[in-house]
Amino acid sequence: MLSNITTWDRKTTLRARLLLGVSILSVLLSSAMLVSVSVGPVPISLANVLSVLLSIGPIETTLHTPLESLIVTELRLPRIIVGIFVGIGLSVAGVTMQALFRNPMADPGIIGVSAGGSFGAVIAITLQLDKYLFISVPACAFIGSLLASIIVYSFGHSKGQLSMPALLLAGVAVSAFFSSLISAIVVLEKDTNSVREILFWLAGGLDSRSWEHAITAGPLIILGAILIMFYSRDLNLLNLNDDDAKAMGINVNVTRPFLIILSALLTGMAVAVSGTIIFVGLITPHILRLIVGPDHRILVPLSALTGALFVISADTLARTVIQPAELQVGMVTSFLGAPFFLFLLVKNKNRLHSL
Amino acid sequence: MNQLNPKKNRIKPLLLTIISSLMASILLIIGINVVKDPATSTIEKKDPVVDQNIWPREVNALNGTVLILDKPQRILTASVGHDELTVALVKLDKLVGVAGITKNQTYSNVADLVQSIPEIDRDPENIVALNPDIVVTSEYFPEESIQRLNDLNIPVIQTGMASSIEEQKDTILLLGRIYGEEQRATQLVAEIAERYDFIQSVIEQQNGSKKKKVLSITRYSDQIWAAGSDSTEGMIIESAGGINTAAESGIKGNMTTSIEGVIEMAPQIIIIAQPRESGGDEFREYLVNSRVTQQIPAVSNNKIYFVETKHFTTLSFWNIRGIEELAKLLWPEDIGDKSFGGFSLP
Repeated sequence: MLSNITTWDRKTTLRARLLLGVSILSVLLSSAMLVSVSVGPVPISLANVLSVLLSIGPIETTLHTPLESLIVTELRLPRIIVGIFVGIGLSVAGVTMQALFRNPMADPGIIGVSAGGSFGAVIAITLQLDKYLFISVPACAFIGSLLASIIVYSFGHSKGQLSMPALLLAGVAVSAFFSSLISAIVVLEKDTNSVREILFWLAGGLDSRSWEHAITAGPLIILGAILIMFYSRDLNLLNLNDDDAKAMGINVNVTRPFLIILSALLTGMAVAVSGTIIFVGLITPHILRLIVGPDHRILVPLSALTGALFVISADTLARTVIQPAELQVGMVTSFLGAPFFLFLLVKNKNRLHSL
Repeated sequence: MNQLNPKKNRIKPLLLTIISSLMASILLIIGINVVKDPATSTIEKKDPVVDQNIWPREVNALNGTVLILDKPQRILTASVGHDELTVALVKLDKLVGVAGITKNQTYSNVADLVQSIPEIDRDPENIVALNPDIVVTSEYFPEESIQRLNDLNIPVIQTGMASSIEEQKDTILLLGRIYGEEQRATQLVAEIAERYDFIQSVIEQQNGSKKKKVLSITRYSDQIWAAGSDSTEGMIIESAGGINTAAESGIKGNMTTSIEGVIEMAPQIIIIAQPRESGGDEFREYLVNSRVTQQIPAVSNNKIYFVETKHFTTLSFWNIRGIEELAKLLWPEDIGDKSFGGFSLP
């Protein structure tokens, strides 16, 4: 009886914390979206922005001009929505990989999954497949991410056992391998414009993102993130060790590859529509882990929201600080993320060691 | 002691982080501001009256004072701008190596002339294999390579690539002195001055006519790049009698912007110096067909033009051709059907 009450209490506490976290982050995310949609080179008042947003729904408003409506709906909103998807994709992939690889440094960028995705996308750009089929870049990015994940997993897995150091070292090697292939393509490519395309794409960013990009990446990122949320409990156990996970009834040999594929999908889709934006997958889960603890049932959904918040806040800064010129969003994520991350590291040294 | 003062414990890391961020920001700002200004760091300026036959001679280059023992007979240049300048000053058979991009018709104005000349890279060994008397290059040539070449007694001269026409004239005179071709350099400068002055006279005739707002943009991988102040395209726009609307909006050099930024700049004329086959056509199509861009005066008035990439992106006197090309668009009634050709050769 006492045990049941304790379990119920724990679940209630968990739900309450999750609800509180989701509520706070939803408010912050909505505010960030509103700020983001209200600022840009063309000055549009908040009232007019709200008028445009309301008119998207059934409410007819006449406060805004047609140009303002177009700017908000065709330029700013798709960019924000893509930013949200990218943030969700990278942060959920990051938190998943950190659990699967049992290493806080595991990040799509560090273990080669982003490099694999980038390689796939660069191949599509070099062969100009994107000119014939819009979906080719995301598809190739996903294939590249998946290929990198499979290679890393294969080298880190032998006789049914997973070796974490081997996995990470394989990740570093795979990352270096794909990065060198990209460099070789850049060096050997005779068409200067293709080289420019590749380099600008690799720099990452949300410039000129359209509804097409949102529709391409969004559904798969959301689907992947939801599926991973269903595996939050499994992630908690996989984060400990394989024996405990098996004892708790998890088929490690099926669950782990499945989650790796999902992480590759999220990374590939995010990379396909934004290039390589670093730091999101690494820093977001870390910040949250320090605030809400290591339980993935809370960590995964809150990481998704925080990743989205982080990316669109960074993008808002990127496109406004030197407007009408723009910075790369990746520059801002690194510039904001790194000092904050260091601050948290110093502040929570002792707690971090125990995680 | 610290345990008794938890506030101090909280503040210390925060202070450390703030100080680190501030230091990083200061370094970034210093880094941006100390970037060499090629125009002002260009070496010794015009001195065309020196006797062409007096050797050795010293030249104060970006990489220090360089002694040239004799009139160079085997010249190697390593940037498209230097290649174009050199082709205009010396006989082709004196060129033993050019930059790879100089053979590309899209970006080089002398591609046809240099096809048979070996293409060089920055590896000192490949340069040495061509046995040059002198290497003339830009400030971006690696310092280590310069040192290796100097060790092998091959003088390397780095010059800044001027962006204004006046500075370009100085660079031509300087290269004329380096090559011992002062007379030819003076001729070329006169030719450039004549063509430039013609355009300026057309602009001066426009008493009261309002200058048009011109924007030079390209799009690569969904990133839109605008040419602001201190850019080659910006210099061309202003020299042709236009207002560089990107510069007016505060853009310096070539920077990324957004379609919204373009809407806010409200250009009356848009020029695209991007090759049509390399995304230029798609970009123009987007500008013409997008619902969002219809409020841009250049779009609604069908004033979007492709211009020759090689005239607008090179760092040489060939920018004059860009000025002439744009001036024809800006002042069609005054320039009319006048055709502008290339430049004289030695």
